[in-house]
Amino acid sequence: MKQINFKILMSLMLLALCFGACKDKEYAIPTASDKLQNDLIKRSLGPNIVGGTIEFAYAAAILPEKGKLTSMTVEASIAGATGTYLDHRFYNTNNSGTDVGTAVGDPSVTTGKTTQVTYTGDFSAATLRYFYKIPEEARGKTISFTFTAKSSNGETISYQSGPHEIRNMDMALDLVAKDGTDFYLSIADMKLYNATFAAANPDKIDLVYLYRTPTNVTYLHSLVAPTADPAYLPTFTMPTGLNNKTKMVKAFTVRDQQLARIQYGVFVDDVDLRSKDFTDAPDFAINMKAEGGVWVQTADGKYNAYIYVNTVNNTTKEMRLSMKRLTIK
Amino acid sequence: MKKIFIFQLILLLFVIAACKKDYPMDDDGLLITNRSDCYVSAFELLGADFQTVRTKAATIDTTAQTINVEVLYGTDLKNLYPQFSLVIDAVLDPKIVGKVDFSDLSKPKEWTVVSGNRKVRKTYKVYLTVKQ
Repeated sequence: MKQINFKILMSLMLLALCFGACKDKEYAIPTASDKLQNDLIKRSLGPNIVGGTIEFAYAAAILPEKGKLTSMTVEASIAGATGTYLDHRFYNTNNSGTDVGTAVGDPSVTTGKTTQVTYTGDFSAATLRYFYKIPEEARGKTISFTFTAKSSNGETISYQSGPHEIRNMDMALDLVAKDGTDFYLSIADMKLYNATFAAANPDKIDLVYLYRTPTNVTYLHSLVAPTADPAYLPTFTMPTGLNNKTKMVKAFTVRDQQLARIQYGVFVDDVDLRSKDFTDAPDFAINMKAEGGVWVQTADGKYNAYIYVNTVNNTTKEMRLSMKRLTIK
Repeated sequence: MKKIFIFQLILLLFVIAACKKDYPMDDDGLLITNRSDCYVSAFELLGADFQTVRTKAATIDTTAQTINVEVLYGTDLKNLYPQFSLVIDAVLDPKIVGKVDFSDLSKPKEWTVVSGNRKVRKTYKVYLTVKQ
């Protein structure tokens, strides 16, 4: 009898639990903290490269009856390069989809590692954007940031971000190779040169851009090393002295977002450049297409690079290219 | 008691029968079937950028056991990835595990197709020509 009573009791408890679980909890609007609050998001994606920008959005707010915002300060562990600033405006998107800024004070002032905006208006909440230009001295190191907001009632709040690793590679964007004009590419300099420069500095030339339309075969926009077989240099004679055997591996789906600046979430990083295998790689890449690319290793093995083809133009015989380059030795 | 013993014995027989392998497998864990068909149905050749380097569809002669492929001018012949489509249950020997060097055009590469029952073997030669 005792056992039966226990079973009934357990069943009733279970039933009660089931009912309890089904009960709807009424939503209650959360009560805002009466303290100064802050939050941070990192807006920029991908590897942090010297010369590039790391972007943050820093928000702070306080109840209007408690006080107003008086300043926002960002301190970087390594002083940013020229061009580092904290935007003194917050933005709203209007009906046309355009960001419209509202200034909260004067433009930011950067002193050493610290960048500050002092509020002059009557603002209790604002999100400011911080743009940190990565300096040369940060290469291969890590950077941390401290974001601080102050309010008129004397409160101070901070948000730490980092460490953020700065890569060793370099990046060059939108180099325009033009057949017959500037078509000698130097990986070391990350620049295109004309024939006069190439003749005077043959050691610097790693690749030659050619646009040709031979009959029967497709050549179009091609990158060839100075040592390429003459079969891959139609109607072109390589100037004497150019003899770098640059290794190349074609790629097609490596649409690096920082190089391409289009929708794909692909990033070439230091480790990709360092680990790329160039065994048996050829010294020519024929018929390069827009959004394609080529992995490159210089003849002396000093640099590994990834060259992305942004656009090609058959009429003007041009190729717009961008590259990431890592010093290997 | 005797009946229980007989019942247990029958049950044991059932269990043993259930564990018996009806489907033989090869060293790669692939089923060995009764099919004796043995041929290549399609052939693809990809470059280092994993894009096709063919100028047109490969010509497959299942009687002569040859595959003729014309590749684009400027193809890097040392770093190619061949892909075979085979008749059902057949396997390829040797397996393709990475890039293949086709640069010596005078020596066609060879692969053997092994039928589903693993009893028929046909060796195909792959001839490359470069569009000029």
